[in-house]
Amino acid sequence: MNFYPLAGKLIPIFWLAAIVLTAIGLYWGFFKTADAMDNGMKEYYRIIYVHVASAWMAMWLYAVMVAWAMIGLIFNTRLSFMMASATAITGTIMTIIALVTGAIWGKTSWGTWWDWDPKLTTFLILLFVYIGYIALQSAIDDTRRSDKASALLALVGLAIVPVIYYAVNCPDPNQCASLHQESSLKRVESNILIGMLVTTLGFWMYSFATILMRARNIILERERNTSWVSKLNEVN
Amino acid sequence: MSEFFHMGGYGAYIWSAMATALVLMLLEPMMLVVKRRAVLKDIKRIKRLEERQNRKN
Repeated sequence: MNFYPLAGKLIPIFWLAAIVLTAIGLYWGFFKTADAMDNGMKEYYRIIYVHVASAWMAMWLYAVMVAWAMIGLIFNTRLSFMMASATAITGTIMTIIALVTGAIWGKTSWGTWWDWDPKLTTFLILLFVYIGYIALQSAIDDTRRSDKASALLALVGLAIVPVIYYAVNCPDPNQCASLHQESSLKRVESNILIGMLVTTLGFWMYSFATILMRARNIILERERNTSWVSKLNEVN
Repeated sequence: MSEFFHMGGYGAYIWSAMATALVLMLLEPMMLVVKRRAVLKDIKRIKRLEERQNRKN
């Protein structure tokens, strides 16, 4: 197991990158966007930095989780399954942040906390798929079986990710009502875009840090009876 | 400064959104550290028990 010590060395680096990038992204978003404000943007759009960053990470981490689960299913590698389940909880947290910040933003701009708009509804389903994956994994005691069953569930749930992505691109407003604005990076003012992208990078580094921390915990739990674990400095 | 926190009347919304992200993103690593300590403690305990067992034999 070379992964365990390597992950341990990488975690502080990812934490540092996460804190620095998120701080720069938010600083840029709050202090360098005076031009956008002159064009009549309302202050509440500033929620965009955490909302978009967490929503992108929620969808991206789901794809990452499925990729690990598929590698595990095809090559039967235990570490891939451990990475998949380590990714799930960070993805769930990102989904919750995106939903809560979205609700707060919705209250300011649409006047309502929640609406059964396609984007919001599909994103809520993403949360349920994440929770379903975690619940299925903890419901089966045999790790090999729970890894495989939850991997299949993750693969089936992958169908929701492109649906979320396209849920706002409604061609005819009379056919499908959508409150959530279309995701188009081209229309975003460049300083806001910088703030958004840098904050997203920060959230990505945060995800690396927490996923590696959780993967190490899972490894310790599953390999507790092996000789390499009992030789670790942490337990001597 | 207070104008900055006021955010044109939307301060409560913006700062509660930021606080939600901050709180969750602090809780997650804290819980991971707590979990790690618990697992390590458990491994150490079992190791001690085994060593005692080996000495008896």
